[in-house]
Amino acid sequence: MNKENDKELDDLFKKKLEDPVDQLGYKEEDWANLEQMLDKHKKKRGIIYWLPVISSVAALLLLFLGWLNFRPQVVRHNPKNGLQTVNHQKQSHTGTGDGPKRQPINQKHTQTNNADYAVNTTINKNSGARKSIIKSSAAGSRRNTTGPIQTAIEKVKRKDDEALLAESPAPGFELEQFTAVPVTPIYLQNNKAIPVTNTGQSKNVKIKAGSQAAFRPRFALSVLAAPDINGVSSFQESKVGTNAGLLFSAGLFKKFTISTGVLYSDKPYLTAFENYHTQYQFPVNPVNVAANCQMLDIPVNIGYQIYNKHQNKISIGTGLSSYIMLHQSFTFNYANPYNTGPSNFSAPNGSGYFFGVLNLNATYERQINSKVGLSFQPYLKLPLTNIGYSQVRLQTTGVAVGLTWNLNSLSKP
Amino acid sequence: MGEEELHQLIRGCIKQDRKCQKMLYKAFYGFSMGICLRYAGNRDEAAEVMNQGFFKVFTHIESYDITRPFKAWLGKIMMNVSIDFYRANLKMAYTEDIESAEHVSDGEMVDKNLNYNDLLTMVQQLPQAYRTVFNLFAIEGYSHEEIGSMLNINVGTSKSNLHKARQKLKLMILKADSSANNTNYNSGTNYNTSIVAINATSMNGVFLNKGIRE
Repeated sequence: MNKENDKELDDLFKKKLEDPVDQLGYKEEDWANLEQMLDKHKKKRGIIYWLPVISSVAALLLLFLGWLNFRPQVVRHNPKNGLQTVNHQKQSHTGTGDGPKRQPINQKHTQTNNADYAVNTTINKNSGARKSIIKSSAAGSRRNTTGPIQTAIEKVKRKDDEALLAESPAPGFELEQFTAVPVTPIYLQNNKAIPVTNTGQSKNVKIKAGSQAAFRPRFALSVLAAPDINGVSSFQESKVGTNAGLLFSAGLFKKFTISTGVLYSDKPYLTAFENYHTQYQFPVNPVNVAANCQMLDIPVNIGYQIYNKHQNKISIGTGLSSYIMLHQSFTFNYANPYNTGPSNFSAPNGSGYFFGVLNLNATYERQINSKVGLSFQPYLKLPLTNIGYSQVRLQTTGVAVGLTWNLNSLSKP
Repeated sequence: MGEEELHQLIRGCIKQDRKCQKMLYKAFYGFSMGICLRYAGNRDEAAEVMNQGFFKVFTHIESYDITRPFKAWLGKIMMNVSIDFYRANLKMAYTEDIESAEHVSDGEMVDKNLNYNDLLTMVQQLPQAYRTVFNLFAIEGYSHEEIGSMLNINVGTSKSNLHKARQKLKLMILKADSSANNTNYNSGTNYNTSIVAINATSMNGVFLNKGIRE
């Protein structure tokens, strides 16, 4: 009885209150109040309209300047010095040689040249150098270079090792190219440097894995295209490349977004020969190397939204990219046109560099309607390891322009 | 208003066209006001809340999915701003002990003569906490669990608030009946203004309404 009565009461109110009568007449003053609110809002918006754009550009500029400031300093080698050529080979086989670390230790070692140290360096040198010889012969055969030269170089190296142990001068030709004694500390340094870089990298991966717990996820699909600037170690000598691809992103929690996808990248770049690492021994060192790489870029990024009002969203993001090389070709330029080595070379395909590149980006997204948004994403890609056949530290910056579809709005009934 | 006409207005609103905004406002003024009045204590309050709702509509119009009914979307926004308003005033809201109303009989509850304005005034006289729960449960049709999460209260509070709201409404209906029978009850044309006076004087003692809303 009681429940029935309650129901009756509810129904009475529901029926009558759901159907307001004409007395709720329109009042002009109500509209005037709202108009005032809307005007205030418009003025405020005018000021902040460019704020997102300005702030993302500023953020990128800051990042870029910061990077320029702290970028690893490239050791300037004298191309005429045979000793430096040996240095290159050692770096390339470890793949983790690091400029700024290398230099100070180098100096230190020349100061403290005690007996203990000599023993260590000998051991290191032996193992390191032997490996590099094996590699260089393999590389040499792939490159179709003239066999006799290659074997001659190998011989030189072996002799070079012996020369080190005995500290006796080798035959004249070998001495000219490989005066190897001062090189030895570098092996040690390289070996030490490996664990440092490795731990740094694995930490990055762990941080990303920790943020996976999904909570009412929002999904979006983006088509991106970007012109970008590629340079090795700095953007002083840079070339413009192109990117295009698809990105899928899922919103986790309120402000975090995780995104991944595939981008096809065409990255041409020009670099001084010092940055170009190879096992192959050039008869004459080129001045610089022009490279053209086509690759697939597979980023895994995490973004944090710092601004979201009206149709505008700004977020900053970071993550790691994997590169899968599709094509790499190099053109070598020489100082003296009559004294040249090989002029170009195409590297074999298919090598991948997993999580070898750090992504930093800022995204400004403007919602056009509930389904589609337009985004601008200035970004910077910094290498954590040496990339490509040439083992260069290729960095990229650019602005990606994209269209984003909100997948959740499609699945609504 | 025809479907096409509405869509045209919405497109205008997306472009932030002031004329289209005003036309849409006028067209849905009555509908929106009807919702806000139920949640608010009086017309001024309702108009304020409704304007908040329209402000949200105009600034987020691009997020409206044109394939879905506009009225439902608008209604939901009006309900949400009303709840936001309730939350913002939570400190002021009070729940009063109404044990004395427990004995209200389940007698003749439905009076055929009660019109929209009568019932609206009764709902508006409820304390805000009771009124909000009553609106959400009896009129919008939400469950106590849903109301609990919407208002951030527990299910028990929601049930208790609903019960108390009903008790109060029953009392008011009984009172209205007896007033009508004694011909003291002013059901004339200028009802809206006179009810405030009745409320402030004669009803105060009866309903333990401590004058918070007045």
